Amino acid sequence: MDHMDERIKKEILKHTEDSIDQLKDEIWSHLDQELFQEKSRKRIKMRKKSKVIPFIITAAAAVMILFTTQTDTGMAFIKQIKDIFVPEKEIIQSIEGTEEPTDVVLQEGKDAEYVIYIDEERYKLIKGEDSDIITTKEPLEERYPEVSMTIEQFKNITPEDIVASKETELASEYSKVTATESVSDPVEGFKLHAIDGGTEWDSPVTNVYVIDNKNGGSFVITEKYFLEAAEGHGARFYAMLQEFKIVE
Amino acid sequence: MHEDILKEIKKGNRDAFRHLYDEYAGYALRTAKAITRNDELAKDAVQEAFIRVYRNISSYDSTLSFGAWFYRILVNECNRLLSKEKKVVPIDTSLMEGNPQLTEPSEEGVTDLYGIIQHLADLYRIPLLLKYIKGFSEKEIADILNLNQNTVKSRLFNGRNLLRDQLSLMEMEGK
Repeated sequence: MDHMDERIKKEILKHTEDSIDQLKDEIWSHLDQELFQEKSRKRIKMRKKSKVIPFIITAAAAVMILFTTQTDTGMAFIKQIKDIFVPEKEIIQSIEGTEEPTDVVLQEGKDAEYVIYIDEERYKLIKGEDSDIITTKEPLEERYPEVSMTIEQFKNITPEDIVASKETELASEYSKVTATESVSDPVEGFKLHAIDGGTEWDSPVTNVYVIDNKNGGSFVITEKYFLEAAEGHGARFYAMLQEFKIVE
Repeated sequence: MHEDILKEIKKGNRDAFRHLYDEYAGYALRTAKAITRNDELAKDAVQEAFIRVYRNISSYDSTLSFGAWFYRILVNECNRLLSKEKKVVPIDTSLMEGNPQLTEPSEEGVTDLYGIIQHLADLYRIPLLLKYIKGFSEKEIADILNLNQNTVKSRLFNGRNLLRDQLSLMEMEGK
């Protein structure tokens, strides 16, 4: 450490030393009251994964046979997927208490390893190098927090390992992280939920779904929206996610 | 942080948590005071960071050092309180990277090195504060701020140069 470094360090420490002991005592007193006066404390416990097998569509062997016979194999495979899943359909989603019929369109994800039906009136799928993002068709004004649903696959990381690292990540970024749970709806897998703040209309909310890809890896779906949009974008993401299928 | 202490905290052991508090609170407060430039906000940030650490200790993944995890929570909390206080949308200062004039506009009343540090843009100020208060390495600062290590290296280098230039200028002007 040279002279300049020593000088910087000394100056910062000198200007931050006032009332440290007093503040430490005040904070401890508050922590002690809040954390240890309660008889029980909330602990995040990840429930054991359900034994119900995740809903995976196994494309018929015939598709694979056809797949190998095509000259443009990638396109052929996508075509086969489109043959299996109807290209468009109507779903009923519950938006703010009202049943709303919505037309959704089939989209295949990166390398055709999953399919999902998108509400293309409101959202668009942007395919990326490592992940795909579903976001609003029209960009939101700057005052709104991010609204998106990211789908990515980690081919060599198990769902349990992903959950462990996501729990750490969320705990460092959001003020409230609820217990990880196993879910069967909108997808079969683990669900992590976190919110920052939580009392204001624009408090950022995230839901992370971790799904076994049945091949030693995981799909991770990260929804981001804000508190006031929970029954709007949140509900629409939920409905679209119900149509997410892994293609094996 | 010793594994045994963390295990005890996970069980809800008050003494173990107090041990952690005593080890981390002093520098955490100094860091929060320097980042927020406000004792009350710093107190709230440190308090909330410890609450979040206690409540989410089961989520701690040891692939990240405990110090880096704790300070990531602390720095995020400081930023959250500052944003709430200012009611402004944080600006992505990474877009301004490389601009040599990255000090805040008004430097009136800045008469010492600490004042100059506090007038640097956050993209330089916060890595410098983490380096000089707690002595974090570039790798640890990168983990805390979720940045690439080379980015941190360059920000520390440029921030330090800005400090040196501003200090020389101030000394030449006889402040």
